[in-house]
Amino acid sequence: MTGTKAVVVACDIVTPYGWGIDSCWNGLLSKKTAIGRLDRFPTKSFLTQNAAVVPGLTYGQNESIVIKMLKPLLQKNISSIPEDAFLILATTTGEIDKLERHVLNKSTDAASSHPDKLLEKISLLCRINSHGIVVSAACASSSIAIAQAAGIIVSNENDCVMVVACDSVSEFVFAGFSSLMALDKDMAKPFDRDRNGLSLGEASGFLLLMSESRALRENRPIIGKIAGWGLTNDANHMTGPSRDGSGLAMAVRKALKSANISEKDIGCFSAHGTGTIYNDSMEIKALRAVFGNHKIPVYSIKGGTGHTLGAAGLLEIIIAFESLNKKIVPPTVNLCNVDNEASGWVSSEPLIFDASVTISTNSGFGGVNCAVVLKK
Amino acid sequence: MIVIKGIGWITLTEYGSIIKKLQGNYNDLKSLHSHLQHESVLKSAIKNFGRFDTASKMTCCSIALALNDAGITYSEHMKHDVGILGTNNDGCFESNLAYFKDYVSCGRTIARGNLFIYTLPSTPLAEAAIYFGCRGPLLYIKFQQNQIPSMLRYAGKMILRGETSKMIAVEASEKKAVCFVLGNKDNTSTMKSLSLEDVVDTIEKTSDFDEMLIQSTPYPQGEN
Repeated sequence: MTGTKAVVVACDIVTPYGWGIDSCWNGLLSKKTAIGRLDRFPTKSFLTQNAAVVPGLTYGQNESIVIKMLKPLLQKNISSIPEDAFLILATTTGEIDKLERHVLNKSTDAASSHPDKLLEKISLLCRINSHGIVVSAACASSSIAIAQAAGIIVSNENDCVMVVACDSVSEFVFAGFSSLMALDKDMAKPFDRDRNGLSLGEASGFLLLMSESRALRENRPIIGKIAGWGLTNDANHMTGPSRDGSGLAMAVRKALKSANISEKDIGCFSAHGTGTIYNDSMEIKALRAVFGNHKIPVYSIKGGTGHTLGAAGLLEIIIAFESLNKKIVPPTVNLCNVDNEASGWVSSEPLIFDASVTISTNSGFGGVNCAVVLKK
Repeated sequence: MIVIKGIGWITLTEYGSIIKKLQGNYNDLKSLHSHLQHESVLKSAIKNFGRFDTASKMTCCSIALALNDAGITYSEHMKHDVGILGTNNDGCFESNLAYFKDYVSCGRTIARGNLFIYTLPSTPLAEAAIYFGCRGPLLYIKFQQNQIPSMLRYAGKMILRGETSKMIAVEASEKKAVCFVLGNKDNTSTMKSLSLEDVVDTIEKTSDFDEMLIQSTPYPQGEN
């Protein structure tokens, strides 16, 4: 590797708590969930009628839900986005509501749901010249995209990368997760002994990364550094994680090594924490494997925001930077009775911590794992 | 120096590999799966192969041909730090349509999980990772132009950045698949390998899949 450092100079999100980072951060700190009754499409025959959606978005009209999130977000931030940035879009299903409408009433062209069409739209919205790429790796899509963006910068391939992430709550996805029996009938309760599945959520956001030298040259505010990352695969099962957490543990160890730090430097840990029985259990096993008896504060934001799929990694990295800068570990929303396995790691209350390094992880279908080390 | 250690390919009726100059015909993917086991290209039957979507079947068979071409042994029980990068033109568009049409035809009340899991473009890569025991990075990237050269260059950079020691790079659709095994040049190996840049140059000079395979067969400056 070169001596080049990848820093974050701008970011913004829209989540079920509303527009902006503050609304999400304050929502989490309030310990109130944004998961609620879903009225976008008929849900009577599914496992649950609950999900976390961005307030005020109308479903089933001309523009897709993700464009309705991204357009105002990117237009608001257009002055901070350089036209020479390399663009990476991270998503699992993008404008899938367009494909839904094609099948249901032929009101759209199904091919307009292709993610590369969305990439073109985002490129125009951002006024970026590059062709860009779409990265898709299940629920780790955007954390992997951010790791790749940092890799592009530290290997001096480009000194500015814009990562945009988005996914929406659609009938397509809702019906699928329901068929896999992956949804909690009520609401996601990460690391709770009574947890029984995830709640779907939606979000969009962006992270603008630069080489530290360019950021300093352009007097950009530095939010933090992407100090290291590790990507692995469980190579074990299509829809369930490796029960022993070994794939995630390996990703965390790779990330620590690439950041040239030890596990003792980590102040707190942003877990994937979906609220499914096996995911949360696997994560605690991975934590024990890496940190041993050195218990650090661990949290999941998905009890508040729902599982925002391909956008989850980016959203969680932005919240992790907020956590680092405010020295507060956010509470795990909806956590009432801590699972024995997770006891001493997670908390339903916000905590103060004092460290300059944190880590954010995601895992997903097909056994993908990604760990990203963040530094102040 | 990054080299290509093996290349496997499949069209609708033929399959082959470049370094070992393997080539054959097949009738359907089920028979190809059996044939590749018989030829010891596949070490064992791929579990649940029959329920895979077509892109996953093409992905797994082309990877088996490429690993065999590279002389690399594998097992789902003996996992390796090998990454998989996939690309194609349409992502999982056909699987998306098949899943949602099926759901609508069932009165929008029940979706089929077995169709839903193929609505991620990374799913064929994950099926392959499970069977071949690949524990490195796994991701799908849609490049806006020059898909295969872009994919190969990207996979090479992931190795150079230290993200993994070997990469499998595969472009697979329902009609064709081509797979490359990339790694650092091993001066102690007697296996033939190809320079990444030479292969990329060859591919960039051709416009279609069949022509690319013909061009690649007499290896461009093969290295021992």
